[in-house]
Amino acid sequence: MAAHRQTAGSLGQIPSVPIRRRVGNALFWGACFLALLLVVGPTLWLIITTIGKALPHFHWTAVSSDTVGAGTAGGLLNAILGTLVLTVGVLIVSGTISILTGLYLSEFSRGRSRPLLRGAYEVLAGIPSIVLGYVGYVVLVVQFHWGYGLLPAVLVLSVITIPYIAKATESSLAQVPSSYREGAEALGISQGWALRKIVIKSAIPGIITGMLVALAIAVGETAPLLFTAGWSTTNPSFALTHSPLGFLTYAVWEFSPSNSPINSANQLSYDAGLILLVFVLLLILIGRLIAARSRRYAE
Amino acid sequence: MTTPASGSQTISETGSSLMAPLFALWGPAYHSQFSQVTLSTASSSSGVGISSAAAGTTDIGASDAYLSPADMAKYTTLENIPLAVAALMVVYNLPSVPASTNLKLNGTVLAKIYSGKITKWNDPAITALNPGVTLPSASIVLVHRADSSGSTFLFTSYMNAQDPTDWSSSLIGTTVAWPKQPGEIGATGSGGIVSSVKTTPDSISYVGVSYLSKVTAAKEGEAAVGNASGSFVLPNTATIDAALSAFTSTPANEAISLINGSGAQAYPIINYEYAIVNTSQSSTTLAQDLQAFLYWAVTSGTTQLASVNFQPLPASVVTLSEAQIAKISG
Amino acid sequence: MTASAPVVRPEGGAGQDPLPRRAVAALRAGIRNGQALRWTGAVGAVIPALALAFVLVVLVIKGWPAFRIDGWSFFSSKAWSQGNQYALKPEIKNGYELPPGAAYGALPLIVGTLATSLIALIIAVPVSVGTALAIVERLPRRLAYAVGLFLEVLAGMPSVIIGLFGAVTLGPIVAHDIAPYVARNVPDVPVLSYFAGKTGSGYGLLTSGLVLSLMVIPIIAATTRDLVRQVPILPREGALALGMSDAQTARRVTLPWVGAGIVGSVVLGLGRALGETIAVAMVCGASFGSFPSNLYDTMITAAAAIVLTLEAALTDATGYALSVLAEIGLVLMVITLLTNIGARLLVRRVSSTALPVGAGI
Repeated sequence: MAAHRQTAGSLGQIPSVPIRRRVGNALFWGACFLALLLVVGPTLWLIITTIGKALPHFHWTAVSSDTVGAGTAGGLLNAILGTLVLTVGVLIVSGTISILTGLYLSEFSRGRSRPLLRGAYEVLAGIPSIVLGYVGYVVLVVQFHWGYGLLPAVLVLSVITIPYIAKATESSLAQVPSSYREGAEALGISQGWALRKIVIKSAIPGIITGMLVALAIAVGETAPLLFTAGWSTTNPSFALTHSPLGFLTYAVWEFSPSNSPINSANQLSYDAGLILLVFVLLLILIGRLIAARSRRYAE
Repeated sequence: MTTPASGSQTISETGSSLMAPLFALWGPAYHSQFSQVTLSTASSSSGVGISSAAAGTTDIGASDAYLSPADMAKYTTLENIPLAVAALMVVYNLPSVPASTNLKLNGTVLAKIYSGKITKWNDPAITALNPGVTLPSASIVLVHRADSSGSTFLFTSYMNAQDPTDWSSSLIGTTVAWPKQPGEIGATGSGGIVSSVKTTPDSISYVGVSYLSKVTAAKEGEAAVGNASGSFVLPNTATIDAALSAFTSTPANEAISLINGSGAQAYPIINYEYAIVNTSQSSTTLAQDLQAFLYWAVTSGTTQLASVNFQPLPASVVTLSEAQIAKISG
Repeated sequence: MTASAPVVRPEGGAGQDPLPRRAVAALRAGIRNGQALRWTGAVGAVIPALALAFVLVVLVIKGWPAFRIDGWSFFSSKAWSQGNQYALKPEIKNGYELPPGAAYGALPLIVGTLATSLIALIIAVPVSVGTALAIVERLPRRLAYAVGLFLEVLAGMPSVIIGLFGAVTLGPIVAHDIAPYVARNVPDVPVLSYFAGKTGSGYGLLTSGLVLSLMVIPIIAATTRDLVRQVPILPREGALALGMSDAQTARRVTLPWVGAGIVGSVVLGLGRALGETIAVAMVCGASFGSFPSNLYDTMITAAAAIVLTLEAALTDATGYALSVLAEIGLVLMVITLLTNIGARLLVRRVSSTALPVGAGI
């Protein structure tokens, strides 16, 4: 909306805007721009320091070799692979459960069950991840004697990410026009076939966007993983229990200058931060591409 | 068994940040000798080492503190096996005190500092111990460990041993209720202590000798600590060995405090570095590999001790440790 | 049309297909008419509810011993001591064991959690709303897209990196530049005493609040931007026609139109701030058992307390420490749940009035 400014005398009899209002206007938008700077500035600063502390001393060993000791030498390969394995696990477990949840709530549930089940996963979204980490540690790791491993970590991360994918699935299914469903029924296509081949297919971009959000969250979590995945300087095995795995956010936390005096460890912490930033940027980029592509094919 | 089994095995270790630099050296050294065994080490804290060994989430829990009676009663298959002898330094950040000067501090003064009775560096109690050193009138900033730390256990045991009035025995432990002082910082890990002291002028704290090179590089001062005989000593081979000789009867379960040993040159804050291990392991190969590594640590592993300023165990204690190691079975 | 429906023989007995073939046929029919999807969907949909119930049950069961030992005074006490771990016998209170001298209180944790979140909101709300207005009303489309990208990056940034930024970059600046300047120049009024005094080391309440605000800003800014975009053109043009300047329009028409939605997003941001763990753990200074004496003093929050003490909690053989952490987790969960439920009610209420028919948020 363009600013409507009156030029004094341009139409002859229009009175000029009093100084007070012009100053007030300028102050208001000045404050808004200051706010904008206060957001963009620190964000830029954050990104630049994350890149700037890592890049000058970046060695390829950081992504090709495992950590040695407490960061005294070596790289982050064990952490990178661990994070990747965790994300795949989360996509499989959480993705399946969430898509089914969203599907059921959008297409099948009626009456009382819908708000109850939806309320359940929305409440789940509000639980701090540390509390879920506590439950995972106390029950799965200690009480069930699973130890640190892929299974407790993936389960806890899945519980954290289910609300996001479920919500995305439910809303993108709801946005599929009812004309699709009605047309399918009119053509005599069975409901199962219609759901699978028509409705869900149209909702896929939205579902994938939800999964990308869940991925970003899973990759960025630290606290629950500290207590379910543990840490390991060896590459992840695919054992489900009793097999701790490394993950990138541990390196950022544990090898940071406030926790470790070893310079090579601090460097690994910055490197891990850089890798995580790159990953998040990639996810955002893919999300934008999908949104652009689906907008092109919509209508 | 003194050699590992032939299949490949990963042994996980976590715990004491004081001991972590040693394990970081032992891992590759052992792996180069026995390539089928990989040691996955992590630095957290002694409390985590004990807890993880108890919960079974790690194979070796490293700890500066021995198991408490309650822990031994609850986790009956856990044993604490000394692998080396370490010491604890008192460090401070006072730019006006030259690096070659080691401030003299003893348990009474430290207890008063940490309980808030002494608040400034130029307090008469401190200047009395350090004639000729100009101390600033700044307030002392207290730094301690926020996590469950064996270093805390050693430091609080020392303060209580020398000054039970100002530092009662209820304040000994891996986690204690530090009397709150303004600006007091809780750091995470020994590394956190080093960096907190480095970035906070007029601060004081405690950290293990394995961090001496980091402390020196960070231009922090090391205190000459007062022992039971009243002399002020720095931790080195002579003073640690002198202190060791004061403790001749280590019990079979090897849980013993080595604090405030008598002897003119004895360093008062020394300890056994323990590996907390479960005697009943899940598999025979893991048990065998654990035994092999631990035997190696107390015999050939002594080569790495000098780089972290630790001392090897006395021969009698090595025998006791080997007896405990022999109990590990799968 | 292909006759793919299973042939149903009216009589039982010898004329029927064998069981496996009938089962497969029934399964196929189920897949075709959507029943299979319905049943697997139902199974999937129940799982979040089961997980929620599981978490609640575990917290209550694990937290019960501590609650029996301390009772309601847990929420007004500021103790924090694991007690004499090396004592020979545990104490017994109300039928549960604890180490002698052990005492825990949640008050400093609750105060720390609320204080850091309050600081975060005080900074984040005006900054986010201003940013959103600037984006929608002033910036050209390309720039708005770019700023939107920045917001997305900030939102997706792992909190541990923001914590690292806080500890390594922000903390020293607060300690060396901001805090001394503010403490020196603040007027000597009792209300402002929290801004004066010892300026600390950079670890403390202010730095924690700053770090949290970085996480809350994208939530409020993005939601407000989306809401403001959807304010209909008519009321705004009407305001202009009445002679209001666009600043007045923004203040008196646009913002009130989406006011409930903004409040909803603020409450969502509050929920995020309350539950944030690792970033605060890195910059708070971990001072258990006391309240911060001023803005720059070290403190602790509930989430940071759990992350720093959970792994070592088993050294307390009586189980008291672990139980206390469950209690703290339950408190944290209740606080964040209340704020989240409040947020969703508010956002839902406004989205139905302010948006064009059909599409949801």
